[in-house]
Amino acid sequence: MNRDLTGTPGGPLKAIRVLDFTWVGAGALATKLLADLGADVIKVESRARPDNLRLAPPYRPGAENLEGSGYFASRNSSKRSFALDMRKPEARGIALRLASQCSVVTSNFRPGVMARWGLSYDQVRAVNPSVIYLTMPMQGEDGPHAAYTGFGSTISALAGLVELSGLPDHQGVGTGTHYPDHVPNPGHALVALLSAILYRNRTGIGQQVEVSQLESTVNVVGPAILEASGGAPPHVRTGNRVQDAAPHGVFPTRGVDRWCAISCRTEQAWRELATALDRPEWLADPRFGSLTARKEHEDELERLVSEATVQCGREELVELLRRRGVAAAAVNSSKDILEDPNLVARGYWQRLEHPVIGEMTVARPPFVMHPVGAPVAAAAGTPVVVGAAGASTDERMAKAPTFAALPAMPSRGPAGGELVLRRPPLLGEHTRDVARELLHLSEDEIGELERAGVLA
Amino acid sequence: MDSNGRSAAGALSGVRVLDLADGLGAYASRLLGDLGADVIRVEPPSGSTTRRDGANFEGTTGPGASAFDRFVNAGKRSLVLDLARPEARTLWVRLVESADVLIETLSAAEASRLGVTPAAVTSLNPRLVHASVTPFGRDRSDDSVRDDDLTIMAAGGLLHLGGYPDGTPVVAYGGQAQVSASLFTAVSVLVGLIERLETGLGTWIDVSAQESVAQALEDTVPMYELTGVVRQRLGADPREAGSGMYPCLDGAVAMVAGRVGTARAWQALVTWLVEEDVPGATELLDGRWSDLSFRQTDAAIARFGDIFSGLARSRTRMQLYEEAQRRGIALSPVNDIRGVLADPQLVARNFWVRVADPELGVTEVFPGPPYRLSATPARPARSAPRLGDSTRSIVVGELGVDPAGFDRLAEAGVI
Repeated sequence: MNRDLTGTPGGPLKAIRVLDFTWVGAGALATKLLADLGADVIKVESRARPDNLRLAPPYRPGAENLEGSGYFASRNSSKRSFALDMRKPEARGIALRLASQCSVVTSNFRPGVMARWGLSYDQVRAVNPSVIYLTMPMQGEDGPHAAYTGFGSTISALAGLVELSGLPDHQGVGTGTHYPDHVPNPGHALVALLSAILYRNRTGIGQQVEVSQLESTVNVVGPAILEASGGAPPHVRTGNRVQDAAPHGVFPTRGVDRWCAISCRTEQAWRELATALDRPEWLADPRFGSLTARKEHEDELERLVSEATVQCGREELVELLRRRGVAAAAVNSSKDILEDPNLVARGYWQRLEHPVIGEMTVARPPFVMHPVGAPVAAAAGTPVVVGAAGASTDERMAKAPTFAALPAMPSRGPAGGELVLRRPPLLGEHTRDVARELLHLSEDEIGELERAGVLA
Repeated sequence: MDSNGRSAAGALSGVRVLDLADGLGAYASRLLGDLGADVIRVEPPSGSTTRRDGANFEGTTGPGASAFDRFVNAGKRSLVLDLARPEARTLWVRLVESADVLIETLSAAEASRLGVTPAAVTSLNPRLVHASVTPFGRDRSDDSVRDDDLTIMAAGGLLHLGGYPDGTPVVAYGGQAQVSASLFTAVSVLVGLIERLETGLGTWIDVSAQESVAQALEDTVPMYELTGVVRQRLGADPREAGSGMYPCLDGAVAMVAGRVGTARAWQALVTWLVEEDVPGATELLDGRWSDLSFRQTDAAIARFGDIFSGLARSRTRMQLYEEAQRRGIALSPVNDIRGVLADPQLVARNFWVRVADPELGVTEVFPGPPYRLSATPARPARSAPRLGDSTRSIVVGELGVDPAGFDRLAEAGVI
């Protein structure tokens, strides 16, 4: 099904150009979303030092090369690739010239790398005063551990998420993935970056944005920090159990590795569960007569529920329970989720044709934007300010922005624009385009830089 | 002050956010508020559901004592308004007219009943950026089911990867479906505000929590699509020698030193073990250990674990952390919350923020902002609001209702 993501042709962020030095995880996912929403993201990489993910499985079988990684492809849709070997001295001037024409410069190296290349914030700002300059160091630009290295899984351990997640009598395990790289760190980075872009678009003032991946990740265990600070003993792992609902867990269904998550947050949900599973005797059992009682006998409760659910087909059980108002969901595997009817119907998975990988699936951003259908009724020449006039106590707003009289906007209904992800780039695929458009180099000059291994 | 000598203002100064979200979306407006937005939490007279979510603080009870609530609602103003009452209509209209952003987590039926549909609010304020945050997207037909973090983590695919090999999937701590949905809600709202600067028009945004969780599936989707392999739970087990969790003297450490792109770290790890005369370490000098596919065999994983434990069983987490990092190896302690609070880097960067919470009578320690903006720093956390703490100042002071009118609404239980 086609869905409009935005009414702005080319996407809501089409006015943003990003010089993107991020690679591997959190940074690449942040700039993917910008690119998918229309920003021109120019990914700087080189054959001498390609994005490590280009060297990471899974590959299209038979294409175990720089262009065949599905892992890389899944995180780099809609970007352009500019091949530039930053070890070559000539490359640094080229990078700085590009930076002067971009609204945003992003990187996720250890502190000091960008400065070595002549691309520190101060150096870029000298040629581009309103630039938004994002860095995503593992633990911040300063402090005793500024040089420490890490991955999503080690940051997750350092931030407490691993220890907090799992069964009480086992080692904590976290999410089982490099989760901070996938949502908390790109998510927080995007919030900061987009806020800075909005502020720059209103005031003309750029700035530096630093996202310490550790500090970002600690925020996703915020409630545990608050609890501990109140003097409570550290939170103990409870598996899938919570104190305010029972049953609340994952139960087997017919077949291998097919599970159903069930949450009964009300007495009614509990009654509906027992009825749906045809176990009226549970409702007469004093061990299960209240939330408190069910929490006291939770081992036995979960054993009995499992014995009942394992007789059921997973999809049938989910449907049966949801029809009765009980929160239940299939525990989707990677195979299941590609076929999930809701995600398919909402157009979440986009099919792209890649010249090496072939047809492949990429996730779009996890929201759909429906622009307001009617043009705003502003009289010509009336300045429109962000924030409601007179409502804001912030004086700054009264003076700020000010965009000129609105052009007549065409009505933008649901057919106003459709999100189209572009396929991930081959390494250096857009080098010549970018060199012509932004560096204004001639074909001869481009050829020379290619032969010298600078644009390579 | 920024370099131009202007005093720092929030990046979102002057942006007003109406927050009708439950736990699925409340963290979104917390983030916007810390960046300078004026966030008004519009609550029913009984208080938002977040006030009863999750564990209470030690020694405290009742609504308002939830650590989750205090965390996600820090710094907001609370306005009590019973939207189900017709008398609330005029105030609601003025609020929507005054707002830039509306974030709600209503089902389609609730939104219709309360007059908070996209069409209704857009007709009041066509410049409004309005985000609806729901478990599966607003067009899902059975959205009256009360999904929670567990069922959304299941549907989003991350739950399948959590837990232990051959065991039941186990969900991560902390309501990560709520965190994910809230983060992408904040992102989408900011995109809407940026677009509005150009077009003058608002947007209705349909945020799906399931889709937000499904952003976190790592390599599993291409793995299945390209190779047919459905990735399973690994728990604490290493994926290859050098990566994974390893027990040590006082707990465990997590390490990534065997992956593609970490060849130097693997060499540094072998050198370390050899220099320490760890029994068996010299075996690792054999050329086959340089091959990732060998290191991924069960035999290699087990043998490496034995060798590494020769070092780790006599060292603490912090000793291993500092020495490994000195050698360029990505190793971290598996911290409990006490370890996180004592982390030398976080302490040195003055990360922790102490916040007096007058309602609970405690001082809470908050994590600092997740980012640093040089020109428009995020505000440090402030206490979450008492229910209705700003009702009068907003209704009388900002919406222009006269005091007698305010009293009538209060007596009628509307505010």
